[in-house]
Amino acid sequence: MNGTAYIVHEEHHRALVKRLSSEVTPTRPLWPVGGRLALWMMLEVGVLAWVISHTTNHFTAKLTHPVYVIELLFFAAAAIISALLALRSAIPGRTLSASAAAIAAALVLAGTIVLTIAQPMDTSNPLGDFVRTGLRCAYETVVLGTLPWLALWWLVKRGAAMEGWLSGLLVGAGALLFSFAAMRITCPIDEPLHLLTWHLLPALVVITLSTLAGAAWLRFRPRSRHRAAVD
Amino acid sequence: MAAPNVMKRLDDSQHLERSRLRARLMERLQQGDAHACQELLDNIGPSLTHFLRRRVADPHELEDVYQEVFMAIFEARHTYEPGRPFEPWLFAIARNIAVDFSRKRWSRSHWEELVAELPEQSADRSNEAAPELDAVLAQLPPEQREAFSMLKLDGLSVQAAAARAGVSVGALKVRAHRAYKSLKRLIGG
Repeated sequence: MNGTAYIVHEEHHRALVKRLSSEVTPTRPLWPVGGRLALWMMLEVGVLAWVISHTTNHFTAKLTHPVYVIELLFFAAAAIISALLALRSAIPGRTLSASAAAIAAALVLAGTIVLTIAQPMDTSNPLGDFVRTGLRCAYETVVLGTLPWLALWWLVKRGAAMEGWLSGLLVGAGALLFSFAAMRITCPIDEPLHLLTWHLLPALVVITLSTLAGAAWLRFRPRSRHRAAVD
Repeated sequence: MAAPNVMKRLDDSQHLERSRLRARLMERLQQGDAHACQELLDNIGPSLTHFLRRRVADPHELEDVYQEVFMAIFEARHTYEPGRPFEPWLFAIARNIAVDFSRKRWSRSHWEELVAELPEQSADRSNEAAPELDAVLAQLPPEQREAFSMLKLDGLSVQAAAARAGVSVGALKVRAHRAYKSLKRLIGG
């Protein structure tokens, strides 16, 4: 303790240690990141199963088109990588892999390019129809992402995120990119303008909101309970 | 050339051993062992002090940050993954608290600059046909008047004024800030 005495008062340190030691109770460490990710993916599989069982879109026929499959896989993979990074971001000292983040971003970009060039843009649709159909898709994109978002938020909140905004961003990306992929299964429209405006844009808006929410509420801050106790 | 290498290896092995000891203590702390908690906190104290000293210059502030870090470690103990190195976890939390503290200090000093503005303006205007301070203060809502009086007339610190008013420091700052804005408007600043 000689080392601490020259800066932090010995009495202060002693009081602090005594107080905290007296409050020690067994605590269950967080499950490993892989385990929690698997749990979250089980939820996503459930959402996907629900989507597949309720859709009237003949998406199985589309599965013969490699471009469609690649697009789906790109977005789903980007969602899983984001979720993995989100869970890691809630563990102090776990460095987030920049290459993994870059891969996720590249997958989203590539998926967007693929969906844009796969079909010609149709601007001849009446605006009313475009908006009416689109609003429903935007709503469904958000609804499909809500439960996975809440689950991932809770899993991250259980940890101790050091950068709230980053965790919020990753939580949003994990949930909404998966939701985007699920919407590609349930929505029969493949027209790029519709997909960009009513699928991707709402997802990006929710991801932005999630980033803001993360900055406000996800960052780990010790409660003031102990502060008052030791003062 | 061999001697420094031997020294370095010795140093490395000591660090490794210390790191393992801390990791073991942390695992026991997670299981609810109070002695392990005590031993761990004593063990990390010097390293933490050294780490924080490079980030916080003022000894009094350092003591506050030190306390906050200990509490944060305690609260976040469930996030330590057994079997992983302890130090990255510890110093990530310490860095986070130190950054938080710097931000708070910056916003506090920024706010204090804002607060310091008003009396000077009032003094400059003392010769003009400005209304009497008492008369102007009487027009403020009671909480704002109280906040202003405690801070600027009684000379209390924000913390002391908040304690006297029975509100949080943040709430008192808001009241005082509103009082200054109202006063500026009333005085015509």
